[in-house]
Order: sequence, then structure tokens, then C-alpha cells
Amino acid sequence: MTDLPELEFADGLVGFPEARRFVLVQWGDQDSPFSLLRCVELEGLEFLVVPPQVFFPDYHPELDDAAADDLAVTSADDALVLVIVTVGEPLEESTANLLGPLVVNLHTRKGIQAVLAPDRYRTRERLFGTAAVRG
Amino acid sequence: MLVLTRRANQSIMIGNDVVVTVLDVKGDQVRIGIRAPRSVAVHREEVFAELARENQAAASPPGEALSRLRGMVPPRPT
Repeated sequence: MTDLPELEFADGLVGFPEARRFVLVQWGDQDSPFSLLRCVELEGLEFLVVPPQVFFPDYHPELDDAAADDLAVTSADDALVLVIVTVGEPLEESTANLLGPLVVNLHTRKGIQAVLAPDRYRTRERLFGTAAVRG
Repeated sequence: MLVLTRRANQSIMIGNDVVVTVLDVKGDQVRIGIRAPRSVAVHREEVFAELARENQAAASPPGEALSRLRGMVPPRPT
């Protein structure tokens, strides 16, 4: 269906254990920071994702040792971090999931959805404003 | 559901390599220690459920909303 390199999430995404293989498709204009993470196995399943630093420059998630080992990521340069966007209605209420970022080892193209500390990060952080949206 | 009664410092095993130990009981709070291989992810259930719900909410956004979002993208930092 495409010749883009596949990303492999061996455990799937949280709640989507069967969604393991994805391609990352640029979305929007040429300088758009957004991409669509499109599942290869489950037709029609895709997620809007964005590098977190575009909207959250202070966001520096740390992987726990087990997750870092799992991915064989030794430095931040090895990793691509993306957060999943929940498109809101109205759009101003669109949020990013900072609790469960996607982390991909750029060399092996293996990825995980990390689960960070729930006392520090939220699943619904507004993209266009500072207040979190009540889930 | 299997129900077992355990006291502080007693454990249960799940499979061959996951050990769940009751460390301490105080009122309605129980402190639990979990020893598991690194390949076994251990999460609080409500956190896992919240992430699953959010992934579900984010899955496959309608194309119409995506195209409207286009106009709201902030400039890329240089």
C-alpha cells in the first residue's frame, strides 16, 4: 500500500493490542508538524501525531529503565517522540496525550507507547492554550 | 476471579516469574510490591484504562475536522 518504512509496536498501542505495524504519513502542508500514524493491519485506523516540542517545549518525558531497555534506546538522539492528538470539537479544544507518548527507536524502527507518571502528565493537555480539558 | 487471603509479607505467584507481595495494610490502603521480568509491563489499572479510552477517542479523526485544524497549526519554531 505504501513504500514508507514501517514502525513496529510489538505490544500495539494501549487498548489496541492488535495494532502493531504502522507507517508515518506527513499530514498537512509541507511545513506542517503533524503526521498521521496509520495502521497497516487494521484498515482505517490512524492517529494524528505531533512532536511534542512544537506545542509543549518544556515537555521532556523520561522513559523508565525497562522501557528504555526494551527499545534499546540509550540517548535521546536515538528516539523519536510523538504525542497523539485528540481532535476536539470545537477544534480549539484539541488535546495531546502527554501521559502516553509514543517513543520510536530511529535505528530499529521499533516503538512503544510509554506510560508515564500519572501525577505529572495528563492524557488531555490542550494544544491551543494552557488549561487542561476535563475528560 | 480467584480470591486469596494474604497477610502482610505474604506473596502470591503469577506464572513462574511474577511475585506479588502484600507489604503493608493500613485501613483501606494496601501497599503491594511486584517483582516481574522487565518484559512484563506493570501499570495501575485506572491509568491503563484512561490511556485506552484516550487512544479510542483519538483514533481515526474525521477528515473534515483535520482539514479545519490545518488553519490552526502554529508556525514551526526556528
